[in-house]
Amino acid sequence: MSTQTGSVRDYFSALFDGITSTARALYITFKYVWSVKPVSIEYPEVREVLPERARMRLFNDVLNCISCTQCAMACPVDCIYIAFEKLPEGAEIKKTSNGQAIRLKLTQFTIDTALCCYCGLCTTVCPTECLTHSHDYEFSQYTIDTMKYDYLAPDVMAWRDRIVKS
Amino acid sequence: MLNQLAELINSNVAGANATVSMPEEANLDGAIYIDGAKMFDVAKWLRSNKEMPFNVLQVISTVDYLEYIEVCYMFAHFDIENPREFILKVKLTDRVNPNIDSIVSIYAAASFQEREAYDMMGVRFNNHPDHRRILCPDDWEGYPLRKDYVYPKMYNGMEVFPDSKMNFEDREYKARQDLIAKAQKASSVDA
Amino acid sequence: MQSRWDIGRPEKPTINSETEQLKTELLTLNMGPQHPATHGVLRIEIKTDSEIVAHAIPHVGYLHRCMEKHSENLDYRGVIPFVDRLDYLAAMSMEWTYVAAVEKMLGTEVPRRAELLRIMCAELQRIASHLVAFGTYIIDLGPQTVFLYAFDMREKILRMFEEVSGARMLYNYIWIGGVWNDWTDEQLKNVEDFCDQMEVEAKKYYELNSSNKIFINRTANVGIMSTKDCFDFGATGPVLRGSGYAWDLRKVKPYSLYEEFDFDVCVGTGEIGQVGDCYNRYIVRMNEVLESIKIIRQVLKKLEPGPIMAKVPKIIKLPKGEVYMRHECPRGELGVHLVSDGGKTPYRLKIKSPCFTHISMLPRVAPGQMIADFVATVGSTDIVLGEVDR
Repeated sequence: MSTQTGSVRDYFSALFDGITSTARALYITFKYVWSVKPVSIEYPEVREVLPERARMRLFNDVLNCISCTQCAMACPVDCIYIAFEKLPEGAEIKKTSNGQAIRLKLTQFTIDTALCCYCGLCTTVCPTECLTHSHDYEFSQYTIDTMKYDYLAPDVMAWRDRIVKS
Repeated sequence: MLNQLAELINSNVAGANATVSMPEEANLDGAIYIDGAKMFDVAKWLRSNKEMPFNVLQVISTVDYLEYIEVCYMFAHFDIENPREFILKVKLTDRVNPNIDSIVSIYAAASFQEREAYDMMGVRFNNHPDHRRILCPDDWEGYPLRKDYVYPKMYNGMEVFPDSKMNFEDREYKARQDLIAKAQKASSVDA
Repeated sequence: MQSRWDIGRPEKPTINSETEQLKTELLTLNMGPQHPATHGVLRIEIKTDSEIVAHAIPHVGYLHRCMEKHSENLDYRGVIPFVDRLDYLAAMSMEWTYVAAVEKMLGTEVPRRAELLRIMCAELQRIASHLVAFGTYIIDLGPQTVFLYAFDMREKILRMFEEVSGARMLYNYIWIGGVWNDWTDEQLKNVEDFCDQMEVEAKKYYELNSSNKIFINRTANVGIMSTKDCFDFGATGPVLRGSGYAWDLRKVKPYSLYEEFDFDVCVGTGEIGQVGDCYNRYIVRMNEVLESIKIIRQVLKKLEPGPIMAKVPKIIKLPKGEVYMRHECPRGELGVHLVSDGGKTPYRLKIKSPCFTHISMLPRVAPGQMIADFVATVGSTDIVLGEVDR
C-alpha cells in the first residue's frame, strides 16, 4: 500500500485526486449509455456471417475422393479413418471434378469430429479439394459416439447440395 | 567464444574437464560438456567470475539418448552491451539412479527447472530443498519423457487408454470386412 | 476500583505471560485451482498470519497435457497446432518461435513478404495479448466495466485473424517456410483502421485506469520484483522491464527483420510508485501496445507484393543436432530447444515457458504482503497456465 504521510494537506489532496480521477472515468462510462450503438448480436435470431476461410466442421465430397489417404497421414490427432479396395475388373473409371481419374473404390471414410482439432492440415493436402471446411458450428451431440461422421452414408452425402458450390 | 570459455573453466575449476562439441553446420548450436561431479563449482564460478560472468539460468532441459541421459543447462548473460549465452551439458550414464548436485543456492531459477527435470526424466538433484514432482501428480509412477516409458494400465482406479475410446473398430475396418468376406465365402462353399 | 460501567461485565481473564502463552498458528488458505483471479487452474497454498501472507507455495500441473512427449510422434508440420495451444492467448508468437527453430536447422530463407507479415501478425498478437492481460487484471481488482472495453478491441483483432487464417484463437497460420494465406488489400486497410481506433482507445484507458487514484493506490509499491530478483530467477519480458532493466530481445539480439524498424523499449520508470512494482509492469504493457502500433504502421508501408512461401521439401527431415531459439513473446521470452536425430519427427522438443519462471518468483515476493496485495501481484505477472503446464 502507498505510504501514508500524516499531514492534513496530503489528506485533502489525495481526496481531491480521488474524486477528480473517478469523475473523469465515470464521464467516459456515461458516454457509453447514449452515444455508442450496441455491439451484441442477438443470437440465435441473428447469426454472424463467418469469413470465407473460417474453419468449422469438415465435409468430404466422397464422389470426388480418389482415396489417396493424404489427409489421414497429415492429421496430427489421427481422427480420419479410410479404407479402400481395388475396383472390380472392367469397371468404368470416373473422373473427379478437376480431371483426375478415380482408380480405387472408397469403402470407409469416417472422421471422429470429437478428436478433430480444426487445424486445417488435411484440407491443404487434399489433391482434388474434396475435403473442405464448411461453416457449420452448431453440431454438439449428447453422446460422444454420435460425433463420428460416416461420409458415405446417404444422409451425410445429401449435405453436398448445401455445402459444395461448384 | 565456446573455446575461450572452456579454457577459462578448465583453468579455474579443477577437474571439470570441459570439452567443446561444435557441429559441422554453422546454423546448429554447439555446447560445452563437463564432468557432472563438478557441476556446483562450475556454476559458482560462472555466476561470480569477472572475465565472462553469466547471471541468468534460463532453462534446464533433459534429453534421453538411450545409452545415457544428457542434462542441458542454458546459461545467459543479460547485459545490454554485451549479451551472450551458451549451452552446458552433463552426461549421466547411470540410468537407474542418475544424480547431480543442485544449483538452487546459486541460481534460484533452478528450483522449478530441476523439479521438472526430476518429474519428466528421473534425474535426482542432491540438496534440492523441495524435491518433488511438479507437473505430474505426486503419486505418479514412472518418468514420462524417457524413451523406454510404459504407460501404467490403471491409475487410482481409472483405466488409462480405455478400449472403448481408442476407435479400434474404425481403424481395423478393412481387416474386419476381409474377415467377414472370408467367413461368408467359407459358409457359401460349405453350403 | 470498579466503575459503574463495569458492573455486570464478566471478569476479564488475565494471561500470565510466564505460564500461559497465546498459541498462534498460521492459517492455510487455498487460492485453489478454481479461482477467478488466477487466470487458469493454478493452486497457491497461502499460509497467512491474520491478513499478512507468510508463505506462498504454488502447485502447478493441473493443465499438463504432455505436449512434449506427444510431439515426438508427429511430423514437424503437425506439431504447429500443438504449439498453438501452449499460450493460447498469444498463439502467433508461439508458432513463430517453433517455426524459426525448425527453419534455422533446415537453413531455409523465408521470403521478405512472409517475414513482414509474420512481424505484423506477431505485433497484432502482442496487442491482443496485452489487452487480455490488462482487462483481466482490472477485473481481478474489482472494476468490471473496463474488461469489456478491452475485449471489444480484441474482438476486432480476432476478426482480422479469422479472415486471413480461418480461426479466432488457434491459428495454424505461420508455417515452415512462410505463412499459409496472403492478406488482401481490403484486409490490410482494416489493419490500418484498427491502428487508428486503438490509439484513441489507449487514451481512454489512460483516463479510466492509469490515472485513477484508486487503481494507483491498489498497485503502486505492491509486489516489488527487483532487477536482482529477476536475474536470480531468470524472469524476462514485462516483469524484467518493469523493474527498470531495458532488456528486449527485439533490440538486443534482433531476429527476423526487426533491425529495420524504429521503436522504443518500454521500461518502468518509477514515476508513480516504485520501480519493479505492479503499477510499473502494467504501464510497460500499456506502452508496449502503442509501440506495437508504431511497428505495424511501418510494416504496412514496407509491404510489397511477392511470394509468401519458400520451397520446403514435402517430407521435412532435419539434420542431426540441436538448436535453442528464443523469441520475445508478450509474456516474456519463449525458448524452444529442438533436438533432432535426422528423422521425420522431433527427437526432443523442450519449451522454456516464461510464465513457469514467473510463478517460481511468487514464494520470494509474497511474504509480508496482505492477501489483497498478493492477488494484485499474481495478476500483474500475467500467467497463462497453458504455457506453464504445457
